[in-house]
Amino acid sequence: MDTLQHLMTGLAAALSWQNLVFALIGCVLGTLIGVLPGLGPAAGTAILIPLTFRLDPTGGLIMLSAIYYGAMYGGTITSVLINVPGEAASVVTCFDGHQMAKQGRGGTALGIAAIGSFVGGITATIALVVVAPPLARVALSFGPPEIFALMLVGLGLVTGLAGRSLLAGLAMAVLGLLIAMVGIDPVRGAPRFTFGIPSLYDGVGFIPVVMGLFGVAEILLVVGAPTRQVIATKLTSLLPSREEWRRSGGAIGRGTGIGFFLGLIPGVGAIIPTFVAYVLEKRISKTPEQFGQGAIEGVAAPESANNAYANAAMIPLLTLGIPSSPTIAVLMGAFIINGLTPGPFLFQERPDLVWAVIASFFLGNILLLVLNLPLVGLWARILHLPYQYVCVGTLLFCILGAYSLQQNVFDVGVMIVCGIIGYGMRRIDLPIAPLVLGLILGPFIEKALRTSLEMSGGDFSIFFTRPLCLGLLIVGALILLGSALRLAPAEVRKASAD
Amino acid sequence: MSRFATATLGAALAVAAAIAGAAAQQDYPTRPIQLMVAFPAGGSTDIAARIVASIAEKELGQSIVVVNKGGAGGQVGWTDMVRQKPDGYYIGFINLPATNTIILDPERKAIFSEKDFTPIINQVLDPGVIWVRADSPYKTVQDLIEAARKSPSTIRAATTGILGDDHLAILMTEEATPGAVFRIVHLEGGAAQFKEIMAGNIDVAFDNVGSIVPRVKSGEVRALAVMDDVRSKFLPEVPTTKELGYPTIISNSTRGIAGPKDMPAPIVAKLRDVLKKAMENPEHIKKLEDQGIAIKIMVGEEYAKYFADTHAKAKKYTEWAKTRPMK
Repeated sequence: MDTLQHLMTGLAAALSWQNLVFALIGCVLGTLIGVLPGLGPAAGTAILIPLTFRLDPTGGLIMLSAIYYGAMYGGTITSVLINVPGEAASVVTCFDGHQMAKQGRGGTALGIAAIGSFVGGITATIALVVVAPPLARVALSFGPPEIFALMLVGLGLVTGLAGRSLLAGLAMAVLGLLIAMVGIDPVRGAPRFTFGIPSLYDGVGFIPVVMGLFGVAEILLVVGAPTRQVIATKLTSLLPSREEWRRSGGAIGRGTGIGFFLGLIPGVGAIIPTFVAYVLEKRISKTPEQFGQGAIEGVAAPESANNAYANAAMIPLLTLGIPSSPTIAVLMGAFIINGLTPGPFLFQERPDLVWAVIASFFLGNILLLVLNLPLVGLWARILHLPYQYVCVGTLLFCILGAYSLQQNVFDVGVMIVCGIIGYGMRRIDLPIAPLVLGLILGPFIEKALRTSLEMSGGDFSIFFTRPLCLGLLIVGALILLGSALRLAPAEVRKASAD
Repeated sequence: MSRFATATLGAALAVAAAIAGAAAQQDYPTRPIQLMVAFPAGGSTDIAARIVASIAEKELGQSIVVVNKGGAGGQVGWTDMVRQKPDGYYIGFINLPATNTIILDPERKAIFSEKDFTPIINQVLDPGVIWVRADSPYKTVQDLIEAARKSPSTIRAATTGILGDDHLAILMTEEATPGAVFRIVHLEGGAAQFKEIMAGNIDVAFDNVGSIVPRVKSGEVRALAVMDDVRSKFLPEVPTTKELGYPTIISNSTRGIAGPKDMPAPIVAKLRDVLKKAMENPEHIKKLEDQGIAIKIMVGEEYAKYFADTHAKAKKYTEWAKTRPMK
């Protein structure tokens, strides 16, 4: 009851007109940051921190949190409309969201994304209120060996993303892992495959790569196509049909669950939950062949996971003081500038503030839904512009986005090169998703492996003596074995048919 | 034209050019100034940079735009800075000893050396601190060193990154206490250290006072020693390594503003004065000190000498770090 009382006090504070305005401004700014590719939630939040210096801490933190989860939603819009992920966690939404847009169902995709995000965000916030303290311990049970094992499980997802040929999928995943090797190695600090270019010392940037592989490649494909047209020829309903609702309901629920649990584990990042949610939907779907061709579950699940993740990731921050992603670390910086250290003591010292911020998550998620649903129609209209205008606009938008990442022209070059590669891959039907997965997981796997071995003094038994780690490794092995058994006959059949 | 006239004209032109140049310097700045931070937005260097920029630009009469050029532990940003014109419109933060170790590590192949910068003013000096979880068996630095001597290479000590000041600090500690060897684990920053210490995956962390003050105050962690010769005003109850008899374990990270080499003296003077005034502003002091970050203003000869001394010290430990066995 104590919790409920605190929450009610918090809600009252969050509902004051000033704080409502701050939450609204935060949601709008966040959506804009999400829409701009390159300018991700971490950088966006950081740049706007000085704006909050003049506010009281509660208002400032409410606004920054709203920017954060607003950005997580905003990234979807460009993913669906022009196949450019506005921020990294929206990559998966490109797979089916943009296909839906091409079929004239862009409004539906945006609508279900807004609804899924709302459900994911609200559910995770309720869980934050109800079960945060006991669940927070989960965060601590995932050390570097467990993260390593978890990432190996993630790598097992590749078979779910492989498309027509498992071999091609695996090859692309390995290519992604290889690209992830570029940069300063985390063991001795030696540059690898950098050719003396300092811009490559941090590796090939993930965002310019996906903007190239998806956005720029899409433009090249359309320009190269014999007929030019608008993306979508007919305007259909913005709200999902009854059939689409039925298919999305479960996907939203599962996506929310995955996003929530992975949000509790620091160091997983916002992208992996979206991949897990997508692959799970594809695995359990009766029509897996529709994935990648505009399956609504392929938008609903990752979008719900993404926002459930965003809100769940606040749990380790508020209960333990552990920031689980770069954006959360920026938010933590904002707390600290205000003389507040997130952690168990903050709940005792400033319950008024903590609960007002938590209560504002509810309001923020409602505000986002109210803001975004009416805008869906407006956004969808962009799809009815003649494609030559959209093409030029998209390209400019991509260049600006890649440049704004670190104000570095090099990233623009990376994006363009990846656009050409992505075009080639699409022409010869190589799957892009496994490459992206390899690229995301590569640095995590290497870092966790190396830190684990540093901890153990080079002894590999560290992976088998920790129960959680061992359990995860067994799960990963089972997934791989299962996929191999399930996919092998198809491969063999295909090979013999060839 | 006689030779004399040519010479006169030449001299006059030279004088005119000099006057024009001086006038340009006197008018400086006539357009916004870029202040480069070699780390992504939101880090502690970035936040402090934005605070000082927002105060100094009022005095300067031109806006100061913070530009983040993160990457490669700062190398991308510093590479960019030394390539700029030394006209005062592009200045940036240097982070010692990180700037030094990048120059000193031959594998990094840095295109800049310590001579490619014009140090203008130092803003922050954050001393190193050795800390453990509140329930750790190590109550003092002596406990820790005894344990590291008794069973070498078993005590897991975390840095905040390869060849950062915290990595060098572990090496200084090993050097000052023969026989004590730590198992060094490189983590990415203070937040990762805090998490792994709390989870029991790491035994002791080497970090900076600014990252840990609130955690010490709340009782979650215990600071064993501040690696400085004077006590930190934020942790007055924590002894210094000097007091404890280890005067060679002195480690800190500083950040200050510099420009490319060969900046004209009047421009350096103008920037130095404006930035000094901004850093002495109570708003700046409060914003930084609330975070447990110690301000240490150094200018001119003092800062140049500090840069040189840090470089010499970093050289020794960088060479050692590159040859030390992995375990």
